Amino acid sequence: MTDAFLIALGGVTEPYTLLLMAVATFAGIVAAAIPGFTITMAIVLTLPLTFAMPPMQGISIMLSVYVGGLSGGLFSAALLGIPGTPSSVATTFDAFPMARQGNPGKALSLGLFASFVGSIISIAVLIVAAPPLALLAVKLGPWEYFALIIFALTVIASLVGDSLIRGLIAGLIGIAIATIGPDPLMGRERFTFGFEILTAGIPFLVVLIGMYAMSQLLSELEPTKSSGQHSSGSLISGDMRPHLWQTVKDILLKPANVIRSSLLGVFIGAVPGAGSSISNLLAYDQAKRASKHPETFGKGEPQGVVASESGNSSTVGGSLIPLIALGIPGSPADAVLMAAIMVHGISIGPRLILDHPDLVYSMFIAMAIASVFMLLIGIILMRVFLRLLNVPKYIIVPVVLTCCAIGTYTLNNRLSDLYLLAGIGAVGYILKKLDYPLAPLVLGVVLGPIAETNLRRAFQTSTDWTLFFTRPISALLLTLAVVSVVYSIYSYVKQRRLMAQRLDATSN
Amino acid sequence: MERRNSETALIPALQVLSYFIIALGAVFMAFKAGSLPASRWEPMSAGTFPQIIFFGVALLCGVAAVVEISKQGFPRTSLNIAWKRLVALKAVIINLALFIIYMAFMPIAGFIVSTFIYLTIAQLYLAPKKPITLLIAIFVAALFSAGPYYLFSEVFNIYLPRAQW
Repeated sequence: MTDAFLIALGGVTEPYTLLLMAVATFAGIVAAAIPGFTITMAIVLTLPLTFAMPPMQGISIMLSVYVGGLSGGLFSAALLGIPGTPSSVATTFDAFPMARQGNPGKALSLGLFASFVGSIISIAVLIVAAPPLALLAVKLGPWEYFALIIFALTVIASLVGDSLIRGLIAGLIGIAIATIGPDPLMGRERFTFGFEILTAGIPFLVVLIGMYAMSQLLSELEPTKSSGQHSSGSLISGDMRPHLWQTVKDILLKPANVIRSSLLGVFIGAVPGAGSSISNLLAYDQAKRASKHPETFGKGEPQGVVASESGNSSTVGGSLIPLIALGIPGSPADAVLMAAIMVHGISIGPRLILDHPDLVYSMFIAMAIASVFMLLIGIILMRVFLRLLNVPKYIIVPVVLTCCAIGTYTLNNRLSDLYLLAGIGAVGYILKKLDYPLAPLVLGVVLGPIAETNLRRAFQTSTDWTLFFTRPISALLLTLAVVSVVYSIYSYVKQRRLMAQRLDATSN
Repeated sequence: MERRNSETALIPALQVLSYFIIALGAVFMAFKAGSLPASRWEPMSAGTFPQIIFFGVALLCGVAAVVEISKQGFPRTSLNIAWKRLVALKAVIINLALFIIYMAFMPIAGFIVSTFIYLTIAQLYLAPKKPITLLIAIFVAALFSAGPYYLFSEVFNIYLPRAQW
């Protein structure tokens, strides 16, 4: 074992490999910062470059892209309010308001450091707990998956903004959007009304880019209250210093949040099919519930940034658990990693850790090194990104809209996705103006197909619906979901009453 | 209880209108879902899950409309106020229209030409009217139309739309 570890350490820490890993981490960060350019896409593009390399080097480079990518979404989320990837949706909730309040440096450094801590915690858990956690994850049947999704959907109740009912409507509209196109089990066409543009369904990323990016960018063009004219100033200005020491203190002196979010991310990552798009929202939700001041969330709360970023970055370690222990990819990005390993003639499965321990150790080491690169490169890039955003709005808004169009087109090389983007963007802007929260809608689009697939699969296995309540893990998750909804409604009503009382007091 | 003036009642009025429109659409879709063919292989057909969701949307919209109207009264606003608000959003509407035209034009003119034209017009519309902004707009448009095209085609082997001529 020690020999294998030393071989892995020697292989990964070769100067040339380290240089390539640094470049790959940088590429992952930049790719994820472009809305629509997914981590999976970045890893897929890296794959052919690694064919000629030794397996250890190739896998290390791909893992570096992965680790960089999971934190890269932070930049566009914090500075533009646009999640670069689905895994940074929750990051926009607090990082963007914090940046708009004049603290972009603080928002970015908090996110970067939280990502780093999350990655390190996930690597530790991966090393210690890979086999037992993987065994638990594969024991989950469709009942447990459905219950897990229902639990995740209860997050909607805590992300509703000013109106609980509009939040719930938005969440259900999101799930409804996901039902357009082929049905997830039999591939039967639904709700296309003969339009070819809808036959493949509405891709999640098109909804994400349209709803978040376009509606946000269009909002930037609204007349400002003071001038009555649309502003041509910069999007973000303010304190550009990274405040590293303060950030370290913020995270390490309040470790409960970062540890809870990271462990949640590891667990969600270990469940095949879940992934970072769910973990960052769940981590954020749990941080809000645990906070003594939940009303500050959504308004630039540092703990919100920490929770979402540590939650999504720790997913990478978690998702490698079923891959390494059982050969089951936890996410599309893991499937590409798996393909990369197989290209080198190494079979993935329970014997991987026995037959190729050096490769498995090299993955652990590569992840740890990539996390350090991610932190260092992120801090360096931070200033560059901040300076880029000092560019006036009249340049940045059309240019970012063009980037959105590029990101959307490159998803599937389909022009029809561009028309969908324009339509969804317009609808997103209208919904935003009417005060419908967009986060539940986007969450609904992600979770809807998973919920439907597992619900139908459960009924295919057995028509006995009581299994949802009699299987222990499913029952536990559904109970947690009920508790979560009741608690959310209770805190929402309480908060509204308090606000009303305050308003009455000020008007008297 | 009624809202104080038609200015503040505009958004609530549009929200109530949106509840009705979304509810009607959802009921229509729920019936559409019900007409999807069932499968002999599975107890839940392809239409069951969407039907539940669409009925859920319609129900929630109905509840939202009733709650809103019973609590605050029917929000009374005027078309004049709505028109004024719409005119104030001129920059947003023009940019959205430009973007839609850009999307529609891209398959014909290709990425480079359509992006160049879109970026130039959008920037010139939004920018302060100074000679230097014309130069900046043209430079940015050239950079971000040709740059991504060659980056994607040369580095990633992904070809952005090419012109039909």
